[in-house]
Amino acid sequence: MSYPSEDTLRRATAFVSALGVGVATYIAIAESGGGSPVCLAGSTGCRTVAESSYSHVAGVNIAVFGVIGYLLLLATAFFANDLARFGAFAVSLGGFGYSIFLTYIELFKIEAICQWCVASAVLMTILFLISATRLIAYGGNELQAAR
Amino acid sequence: MNDTDRRTKLMQFAAGAVFLAIVVVVALIVVNSGGDGGDAENIEGAAEVSSALQGIPQNEMVLGDPKAPVELVEFGDLQCPVCKGFAEEILPPIIENQVKNGEAKIDFRNFTIIGPESVDAGAAALAAGAQGRGWNFVELFYKNQGTEGSGYADDAFIEAVAKAAGVEDMAKWNEDRKLMRAEVEETSQEARQLGFNGTPSFAIEGPGTKGLETLGTPTSTGAFEEAIEEAG
Repeated sequence: MSYPSEDTLRRATAFVSALGVGVATYIAIAESGGGSPVCLAGSTGCRTVAESSYSHVAGVNIAVFGVIGYLLLLATAFFANDLARFGAFAVSLGGFGYSIFLTYIELFKIEAICQWCVASAVLMTILFLISATRLIAYGGNELQAAR
Repeated sequence: MNDTDRRTKLMQFAAGAVFLAIVVVVALIVVNSGGDGGDAENIEGAAEVSSALQGIPQNEMVLGDPKAPVELVEFGDLQCPVCKGFAEEILPPIIENQVKNGEAKIDFRNFTIIGPESVDAGAAALAAGAQGRGWNFVELFYKNQGTEGSGYADDAFIEAVAKAAGVEDMAKWNEDRKLMRAEVEETSQEARQLGFNGTPSFAIEGPGTKGLETLGTPTSTGAFEEAIEEAG
């Protein structure tokens, strides 16, 4: 099976992570001081989600964890070694898993959808797919990594 | 270690991480899928309540057009499970039709019969009403009501309901609810004077009634529709 070059996968990781940093930073800033992100088309979902108890873990806004996760993923794009490959896979797997949980919470517990959270979940899913591909294609292969 | 060994190890780690992630996500979902009410950490249904009440004027605890000719008065206790049943099964069609079309308005008045927490909750509802969120508070309280007498209706729960109901100025709400306990006692007294001894109890006033007339506890939406028509 042929895979995209690792450079391509790293560039894609950098691009999508940078978008993720932007989205998560916006959510974190908008929710600081008791506000909420602005949903499109006048939806009140963002406010409802921001006000729910699920928006914070141990008193910290979960968007802050998102910013940290995306920054870590962005960092892995600058290195072509197994630590970066596995690191990207592990961080994006954690982010992807947590996104599944949060989407479940939005749909069935809070009963509201925050478009910015959905955007972040989509970005994290893409990053997981890229990171998994990168690990499967180039993991343990230092020669190919040098390409 | 050669490339093949490194690769095998990495794949084993990756498989382990995927397994762990699946276990954690499933556990999180299972832990959070419960919810038999009364949980301050998990107030449910805010969006649903907000959407059901959207566009209907709220003036203190009165839901509906202030000029509506008929006023239906509900004397309820927020901790009462039968009141919850009425709020969820019998009254929604009345709100959707007679209240939305301006035929009637509904005034929620506290008639506290269950315990001191009912007075706390009732005063909190009135304080939310001062910010135009009284009915959001009442409906959300009912939606998240816990087991009667379990002590769930503490300050944390009441505050969580107020926040979820969309009360904007929590500091003002906190001040107001202390002052509004007297009003809860007054309406409870009023209910007793009307001869009620259980919740929910209803009364109605309109052009077709002689002042505020008691309805007791009608047990169907149809009975309320009929009473509103006769009072109008």
